[in-house]
Amino acid sequence: MWDRSDPERLEQRIRLERDGTVTAFSGKIDFGQGIRTAFAQLVADELDVPIDRVHVVLGDTAQVPFDFGTFGSHSIAQETPRLRKAAAFARRQLLERASAKLRVPVDRLDTDRGTVVERGDRRIPYADLLNGTPLTGAVPDQLPLMPDSRRRYVGQPLPRIEARDIVTGRATFVADVRLPGMLRGAIVRPPGRGAKLRSLNDEAARKMPGVVAVIREGNVVGVVAEREEQARAAAAAVEAEWHLVPVEGPSADVPMRSDAGVDRALARASLRLAQTYVLPPIANAPIGPSAAVADVRPDGATMYVGTHRPFGVREQVAKTVGLPEDTVRVLPQITSGSYGRNSHPDAAIEAAILSKGAGRPVLLQWTREEEFAWSPSRPEALLEVTAGLDPDGRILAWKYDEHTNVHTAAGLDPQVLSVTSGRNAIPPYGPFAAKVTLHLEPTRLRTANFRSLAAAENVFAIESFMDELAAASGQEPLAFRLRHIEDPRFRRVVERVAERSGWSGGTMPARHGRGIACTVYHDTYVAQVAEVEVTMSGQVRLLNVWCVVDPGQTVNPDGVRNQIEGGIQQSASWTLLEELRHRDGRVVTTGWDAYPIATFNDAPAKIEVLVEGDATRPPTGVGEPGAVPTAAAIANAVYAACGARVRQLPLTRERVRKATATG
Amino acid sequence: MKLALTVNGARRDVDVPPNATLLSVLRDDLALTGTRYGCGRGQCGACFVIADGRAVASCLLTADQAARMEITTVEGLARGEDLHPVQRAFAEEDAMQCGYCTSGMLISAAALLARDPSPDEVAIRDALAGNLCRCGVYGRAVRAVQRAAS
Ligand code: FES
Ligand code: FES
Repeated sequence: MWDRSDPERLEQRIRLERDGTVTAFSGKIDFGQGIRTAFAQLVADELDVPIDRVHVVLGDTAQVPFDFGTFGSHSIAQETPRLRKAAAFARRQLLERASAKLRVPVDRLDTDRGTVVERGDRRIPYADLLNGTPLTGAVPDQLPLMPDSRRRYVGQPLPRIEARDIVTGRATFVADVRLPGMLRGAIVRPPGRGAKLRSLNDEAARKMPGVVAVIREGNVVGVVAEREEQARAAAAAVEAEWHLVPVEGPSADVPMRSDAGVDRALARASLRLAQTYVLPPIANAPIGPSAAVADVRPDGATMYVGTHRPFGVREQVAKTVGLPEDTVRVLPQITSGSYGRNSHPDAAIEAAILSKGAGRPVLLQWTREEEFAWSPSRPEALLEVTAGLDPDGRILAWKYDEHTNVHTAAGLDPQVLSVTSGRNAIPPYGPFAAKVTLHLEPTRLRTANFRSLAAAENVFAIESFMDELAAASGQEPLAFRLRHIEDPRFRRVVERVAERSGWSGGTMPARHGRGIACTVYHDTYVAQVAEVEVTMSGQVRLLNVWCVVDPGQTVNPDGVRNQIEGGIQQSASWTLLEELRHRDGRVVTTGWDAYPIATFNDAPAKIEVLVEGDATRPPTGVGEPGAVPTAAAIANAVYAACGARVRQLPLTRERVRKATATG
Repeated sequence: MKLALTVNGARRDVDVPPNATLLSVLRDDLALTGTRYGCGRGQCGACFVIADGRAVASCLLTADQAARMEITTVEGLARGEDLHPVQRAFAEEDAMQCGYCTSGMLISAAALLARDPSPDEVAIRDALAGNLCRCGVYGRAVRAVQRAAS
């Protein structure tokens, strides 16, 4: 669905520079998942150059080929073969040029770290083969690739290329961009989403120190000033009257799987169990709030932004400021991790409006309060599941109703909804008859992309329920899962995590427990075991997590580990602490005090991640899957520790205590 | 108002509004953008600097208050091209993802090691408890500080 159909052009992917360095281009964005490094590894290997000579340009719309966006980890997986082939094609062209130049057949030539070598001793550096004629052409679909034995970087754990800039403070995040004549912006916020501006009195604000202009376009009102403090003070002094128009999200029912005979099978099952699981809305809550720098001129615009989809921002900004798309350049900057938040370029649009109005570049930095109040959040979810077992304890039938809101702006097409709001609603187990339905309910809250979309919600329900089914039928939770797993790769990660965590051996101290959960997320296989301690008062302490992941062929194992660890840590925070408070569609949380997330003191003693990718399979994404099974692994561990089955997140002290009392 | 700050060992003269925070003066007047804005309320640690030996939130200090202190920002940790041990260790342990929280963590870690060269894990966690990381690099950051200490 998100694939481009045009053939790949080498010159859009790889450029050999006169100094022998190589520039690689991709429309994908690195927001901490290490793809810049992974891409450099791939290109360095395939083109046979030292990695420090590879420079990767990501997302600059003036330089990279069109890209729909970096959504979910799988879009990165799609990109790797394209870059790899382009690099292989570049290498082949260099060999051919050398062959013509040396007048020897290509098969007598090879490459060695940036040079073509002739058997014997003649060597030509790549740069000498350029002669002012760039490497170009349509990248063929089939061409021989470097054998694994000759790949020096892929598969090696490498530190991130940006690491040095980050630790020295030199890295330029969006809000660090400084342009000559740049002003600071601040937006005058309405009392609620979708409010219409009725009247505006900016007389006092205009006279305040440093203020350059008060800008109004439609329902966007903002102040630009020489300094940020001045812009904020003036924005607070603008008197705006608003007309509140309630907005409500859409609704829809999407049948995702409708096998015959589910109701009949449930009716004749020897054991039937039904449960409901509930997750609250939560905030992406990046540490760095949204920011953007816009430089809008009459004849074109340059945007410095954090985004997953630079070409989408280009289109939206062009439309907002009334410029042709090809005069707008979007330059993605390194940005605070946002886990999906950046899919909506709110700050970029606002900055563009302010810059156009002021006729000067504008930096707009949202405050923490604005980030909580005006960002979209992950929607809440209510998951009803019923299953029936046969006398042998096998699942006969499964019925699942997911109630939630939109998870992306990708639209309401049923096919789109089932892979966004319905993501991972279909259980990875079998064989049995299943009926799975997604119910999109209206909400006044603004909801959108957050790491793994609905998968984390659905897998919390499915994997908690698998444990409950096992308990209700007197089966061991690991064995019960294995009975229903057909895919050997899935089986393997589950068996391996059990092994690594010592699942079946030893006894636990009192009030300690372990829980298991697993899933397949966009072809990445992941299984986790969590160990917790539950205090008398119901407080859950996460002690250890083990995880085995199979993301297919692995470019940078340490990068994968880092991503998975982060996913687990973030998901543990969602599970134990997070709930976004809102009233009438307005988020009432304004700071970290009201929305605590896990700190150094909450982090488990150990998160052990084993990357055991099946090297014969194409690489799959790792940014999201780590976060998916964690909630259920923790909830299952809480049950094992104290018998409390909590079906609602977060797993607060009160909920755990109450569930302990009711058994 | 006119102020003379001592930042990274050098005297810096600025002319800023009276309510300006140290954070905004560092970022907007002194081009030291490695100190980051996260919350403006002392709750996240992204803006930490070392002030007279202690890690503090530069978003809560006025520039005027800071003028009486020795300030070190993340840019002042390295000696030329020679990275501070915590900087080296964070890079080596890959103790970062997006890196937005990293400056603040490095500041807390450097301040800790200056007063306690071999902290145990509890002391490390306590010293960095004011640094939030949404990407979840806590485990690696603890290992990085341990590595820097040894
Ligand atoms: S910005 Fe100062 S503590 Fe968050
Ligand atoms: S590395 Fe992203 S917030 Fe810490």
